[in-house]
Amino acid sequence: MRKTPYLPELDPDIQVRKSICTICDPNSQCGLDLYIKDGQIVKVEGDKNQPYGQGTLCVKGAALRQYVYNEDRVKTPLKRTGPRGSGQYTPITWEEAYEEIATKLGVYKDAGTPEQVLFFSGYAKFFRPWLKRLAHSYGTPNYTSESSSCAQAMNLSQALVFGTSGGPHVGGGLECLLVWSNNPFASNPGGARGINNMVKKGVKLIVVDPRNTPSALKADIHLQVRPGTDGALALAMGHVIIAENLCDMDYVAKYTHGFEEYKTYVQEFTPERGEELTGVPAQKIIEAARMFATAKASGIQPSAAPVVHNTNGVQNYRAIFSLLGLTGNFDVPGGQTVNPPSFFHLPGQFPTRQDEFMQSRPYEEMAPIIGANLFPVWTEIITDEGQAMYLPEQIRTANPYPIKAVVAFGMNHRMWSDSKAMAAALEQLDFFVDVELFMTDTAKLADIILPACSSVERSEFRCWPNGYVVYTTPAIPPLYESRNDIDIICQMATYIAPEDTLLGSGIEASLDWLLQPSGLTVEQMKPHTGGMFIPNPQPAPIGKYLENGFNTPSGKIEFYSEVLKKHGIDPLPVYKAPLHSQVPTPEVVKEYPMILNTGSRLPMFIHTRTYRLAWSASLRKAPAIDIHPEDGAALGLSQGDLVKVVSPMDEVRGEVNLTFLAQKGVVHLYHGYREGDANSLIPWDYRDPISGYPGYKGYICRLERVEEG
Amino acid sequence: MGKKIRCDRDLCVGCGACVVACMDEKDVDLAAGEVGNRWLEKMEQWENGVLSITYRNIACHHCKSYPCLPVCPTGAITRDEETGAVLVNQELCIGCRKCDEACHHHIPKFNSQGKMTKCDLCYLRLQAGREPACVKVCPLGALTLEEASDHHKKPKDHHHKER
Repeated sequence: MRKTPYLPELDPDIQVRKSICTICDPNSQCGLDLYIKDGQIVKVEGDKNQPYGQGTLCVKGAALRQYVYNEDRVKTPLKRTGPRGSGQYTPITWEEAYEEIATKLGVYKDAGTPEQVLFFSGYAKFFRPWLKRLAHSYGTPNYTSESSSCAQAMNLSQALVFGTSGGPHVGGGLECLLVWSNNPFASNPGGARGINNMVKKGVKLIVVDPRNTPSALKADIHLQVRPGTDGALALAMGHVIIAENLCDMDYVAKYTHGFEEYKTYVQEFTPERGEELTGVPAQKIIEAARMFATAKASGIQPSAAPVVHNTNGVQNYRAIFSLLGLTGNFDVPGGQTVNPPSFFHLPGQFPTRQDEFMQSRPYEEMAPIIGANLFPVWTEIITDEGQAMYLPEQIRTANPYPIKAVVAFGMNHRMWSDSKAMAAALEQLDFFVDVELFMTDTAKLADIILPACSSVERSEFRCWPNGYVVYTTPAIPPLYESRNDIDIICQMATYIAPEDTLLGSGIEASLDWLLQPSGLTVEQMKPHTGGMFIPNPQPAPIGKYLENGFNTPSGKIEFYSEVLKKHGIDPLPVYKAPLHSQVPTPEVVKEYPMILNTGSRLPMFIHTRTYRLAWSASLRKAPAIDIHPEDGAALGLSQGDLVKVVSPMDEVRGEVNLTFLAQKGVVHLYHGYREGDANSLIPWDYRDPISGYPGYKGYICRLERVEEG
Repeated sequence: MGKKIRCDRDLCVGCGACVVACMDEKDVDLAAGEVGNRWLEKMEQWENGVLSITYRNIACHHCKSYPCLPVCPTGAITRDEETGAVLVNQELCIGCRKCDEACHHHIPKFNSQGKMTKCDLCYLRLQAGREPACVKVCPLGALTLEEASDHHKKPKDHHHKER
């Protein structure tokens, strides 16, 4: 244990260098002050000048040193020498690795079937425009990412209603915030501070969440919905708003499409029916609907995935977003406004030519993208990537064509439902490359493993919604032989897509090309190692869609989706109970009486990325199973008892954690544990038919005590 | 003048950033049997049908009475005049646990070598004009450094108020 703090004022050999933390990638990225002595990071703090983190860090970022200096780091490029999964590899040089990749991938290109190669990105996200370009320059349409089970279905739902995605216009006169299953207190400190600030300013807070999260406990109204029934709740709120004449009828008449059909449909969703379907008391549904509809301006803070991790996820979210159309709150100050993306999916108030950069070959010149056969709505709306949840099936069935090789940058097979089948599918591949920081269970299935470095060892570009940008400088050189993912992509391009000279020109030249319309350059940003505000922010005008029309087939906000209609799907945001639940399958539920709700965020974890960090992992025993104390009592279970969670698919073990955070009748299980893999409990086809998202948040299970010994 | 670290229970959500920042500051080697100096205890209470989930954010209070100090047979426990921090010299500690018996809150912890460990208020950081590591890291501004005499007063607006 260290006694003397590492501070430059006490030790002149200590330097402070800036970087950003990207352990949790989406929408965060806190600035770092890294205290460095003899080339080693000896202490991590937040950079108080950086607007996102404001000098603070979350529990994951505070453990950053154990992430960077982790014994599981992949040190050199590796070539498999033993059976898949054995972990037997021999070190090779980068050049040998690239030559091997060029030879193997050259086969499909030469045969005229480059689509048989799939590219995939897990976390982080900063390199994605480059990876997508590499995939298309090589010749495959199949660029995919972990967004296949993250935020894209939420974006898809919003796009079906509005033709775009929006967020609450905080600071623009927002009076009521409807937080739909989002708990930034575990996932996103900036978002958590935002909620605290709004509460302080008197913004009314409605939180929909099955659990008693910090967000829910702060709410004026907490709607403790049963997992997977969100759509019914939103439709019942819509019913109340219409029945009590709280709609903004001028707005509805001018800017929406399909109101009469919607109105007819929600007639059956009385508050009492809503209570029956969702478990939320009718009176609370009425109060929430009134609060949301009568506030001068209301917004909805969605979450990336909880609502869409259900078998009716997209339609449920459409019902939720429809409330904004009903109450005249989209594209108005203080309501839901659009801050369009600048770089990657992130808004930054500047234009780029990212789309042109990424789509180096038009889709029309390539084979159909993965998932197009099953999820055509996704393929039409989510144009930037394929639906990778279909990958194991396509590998297994070769339908509509075989996938023979995968080049992944951070892949975790436990992200897929029926995760064991995904691992088996990867073993079936002819060739599998995984770029990774750590020797993971999925990496052990790869033929070639390439070592990536962490954010503090590389340069990357990042922007924030408030017009702040950074092009980081490595605080320490890449450890071992690891490299920046973008360098790996650009170098790989010279082997597998040599005609793409822009990609071959490297990170800085290609970033300058991408940023050209913004006027920003790498040279201009480099001296500002902690980041800078862009000189000429161009905030998106509010009211643009009301004035010029929405990017939907009708040009209006669609209660009635013309896109879904075209694809033979119910155009209204219809409610269907989770595929396996009390209503449609009472006979199955008899054997599995509890709802399985997996993957809700915990502060110390972001998926599986911090499991191997002893400091943060010490805060939660792995894997713990959260249940309501009354369920524990009914089952005769005490704190710490060893139990099995049994589903029709599989069973996993863990320790009982009795907590009122949990909802009665629900088993809350965090995901991705090697010893208790929640996703192995869920069948591959238990999914939303529109998005292909697995029903991670609303399946069925039972608990059984495990007798010790 | 004595200082203390205060936790606003209305703001703390038990994320554990302070616990880990303390481990980073002190290079705590958990695998070698070392233990952290700050920890959390969850409390779930129902009152009039309303649930509250709060956290005790626990570390040495550096209390003015420091009952642990006089009972130490080897003089391992001392007090820093400038900050009021109660300190332990592990080289002198014999692991007799008398300090733990004397402490009203059972704050002293013992590592696998039997040496007592506890929060030192980051007193050297304070002397250098910095905040304790836990206060600096707290993403919600729940932890603040205050004058010990403010113990019974209402908390001042904390330093994150501009957020």
